[in-house]
Amino acid sequence: MIYGDKKTGIIVTGATGRQGEYHIGLMNEYARQVGGRGVVAGVTPKKGGQKVHGVPVYNTVKEALREQDATAAVVFVPGGAAADSIMEAADAGLELVVAITEHVPVHDTMKAIAYAEMKGCAVIGPNCPGLLSPGEVKMGIMPSGLFSRGHVGVISRSGTLTYEVVDELTRAGIGQSTVVGIGGDPVIGQTFSDVLERFAEDPVTKAVVLIGEVGGNLEAEGAKNTDVPLVAYIAGVSAPPDKRMGHAGAIVEGGESDARSKIAKLKKMGIHVASRPSEIPDLIRELFRCHC
Amino acid sequence: MKLLEHEAKQLFAQEGIRVPNGILVGKHEEILLHMDAIADNVVVKAQVDVGGRGKAGGVLMATRDTVIETARQLFNTKIKGIEVQRILIEERLAIQHEYFVSITIDRIKKQPVILFAETGGVDIEETAHTKKDAVRSVSFCPLLSDVPGFLLRELCGDAPADIQKTVNRLYHVFCHKDALLAEINPLVTTPNGVYAADAKLIVDDNSLARQGIAVNRDLTEREREAEKHGFSFVELDGTIGVIGNGAGLTMSTLDLIEYYGGKAADFLDVGGGADSERVMHAVRLVAGVPTLRVIVVNLLGGITRCDEVAKGIIASGVPVPVIVRIAGTNAEEGQRLLAEKGYEMLDTMDHVVKKAVEVAG
Repeated sequence: MIYGDKKTGIIVTGATGRQGEYHIGLMNEYARQVGGRGVVAGVTPKKGGQKVHGVPVYNTVKEALREQDATAAVVFVPGGAAADSIMEAADAGLELVVAITEHVPVHDTMKAIAYAEMKGCAVIGPNCPGLLSPGEVKMGIMPSGLFSRGHVGVISRSGTLTYEVVDELTRAGIGQSTVVGIGGDPVIGQTFSDVLERFAEDPVTKAVVLIGEVGGNLEAEGAKNTDVPLVAYIAGVSAPPDKRMGHAGAIVEGGESDARSKIAKLKKMGIHVASRPSEIPDLIRELFRCHC
Repeated sequence: MKLLEHEAKQLFAQEGIRVPNGILVGKHEEILLHMDAIADNVVVKAQVDVGGRGKAGGVLMATRDTVIETARQLFNTKIKGIEVQRILIEERLAIQHEYFVSITIDRIKKQPVILFAETGGVDIEETAHTKKDAVRSVSFCPLLSDVPGFLLRELCGDAPADIQKTVNRLYHVFCHKDALLAEINPLVTTPNGVYAADAKLIVDDNSLARQGIAVNRDLTEREREAEKHGFSFVELDGTIGVIGNGAGLTMSTLDLIEYYGGKAADFLDVGGGADSERVMHAVRLVAGVPTLRVIVVNLLGGITRCDEVAKGIIASGVPVPVIVRIAGTNAEEGQRLLAEKGYEMLDTMDHVVKKAVEVAG
């Protein structure tokens, strides 16, 4: 388990919005199933005193922490205010902020992440589905029904593609330790290399699936500094240049940010790269055979 | 969104960067109204969003006497296939030296990065490639509101002090205008001081509203229509229409089409939690792509409910065949609804894509 477990107390900011409310319900349903603490407080300015699915709502993160014991926040606050919410959580002393919000201006993200890092707080996202450690904790919006507990970690820039891969793994009988959606924006907090560092120290995780896409070069950057056995998949081999493929960060802008260059780089490092999501379970099995 | 040179220059000037005197015209006849403002020697520049504009014939030299004829010619030329709708006519600068400066975001460091070269101009990309140390770069904490002086000195070397000041002002543009890229090439010294002879500015699409930009010009009309419905949409030129949920899964579906030898007509991500109406609009929008022969729908329901997806597909009533793979939340109900109406369904994304490639021929 990385980033959290059953004992992790979670604060949700943007708790009284449609998304926040809905996912507090789902996160706590999961917490009940696995016997975890789940969401212990919600935060929405000027809505202090309300309750969402029985969870008390506070005006600020600091107020919430005076009465509740929490170490992580999940942010559902909309685009223009999300960065502020990340900084508020970091400033209040939380160790982890998972920012689900899409459409955050990239300058805001850069500043919020720099500020959080100064405060010793790790940021996952923005524009991400969060993370899920099967049997332990869910912080975000991943559909828990597809997951199964096991020894393979997953790190991905995408949401539904992650679910697709998790579904393939589960149906092939390969369980997951922790699945982390790091986000589809050009600037994100925890990158492949940060998450891989955590996985390297995690006794449960034996191998990691790295799901990347066009844009930037975080995949190779992450893969080059780790000893963790890896299988990779890169989406966007057919993506045309200079077009944003759904994610703000998924754009081929010259240089080596296209899928083929990324795949070539990873293969050069000796990493198995799947050409289709459905090949991933077999590659993982092969990896385990080699390491056994 | 990419701004045009004259728009970028206006924003640069607001931050105190000196730009050449110029006028903007939409027809060569308009120049007659501005003859008082035309210098003896001018540069006539097509306002088109094209890389390598100068080499493609989009920048011409003229005098006060020839400017109207030169502009007329330029209005009648296409620059790399793009029509010239506006022309910027600027005083020709007495250039002493050309520099290059560009500010963008370093995704790995999560910081602004400034690139600087002692020799700017049209060949900068080649220079950067062949002479690696010709381009210097610095990055720094994004919480700072100015580029630290020691970094400016490191970056600009022996260049005049005004160059350093201009670089810092460009950083202000970069921050205040939510830019993904702010670039001056060439940044020039003249006897009258430092000027931005050209200007490039790309604004973050997530910041267009707060920058007062109502319409994203980088999108096609159909792509803008898609944006209104909350889709991410990219038009391509193949025969297989694609509708998915989530950018990664949709991109992966496109890749599978290529893997099985087909060609995608579009990329459409309906987004999270799409209801039947949104799906209906998506299917109709994709069905309108002229090259289309078949639509493949690949959805993995998390927040999105597959029964809603099925209702949307049925309600769209488009004449092209729609082949479906839906899995996840309420998949069985969705499959039942589609089966009743005779839609073809397959169980995995490999199978559904393979089938679509067959149908498209």
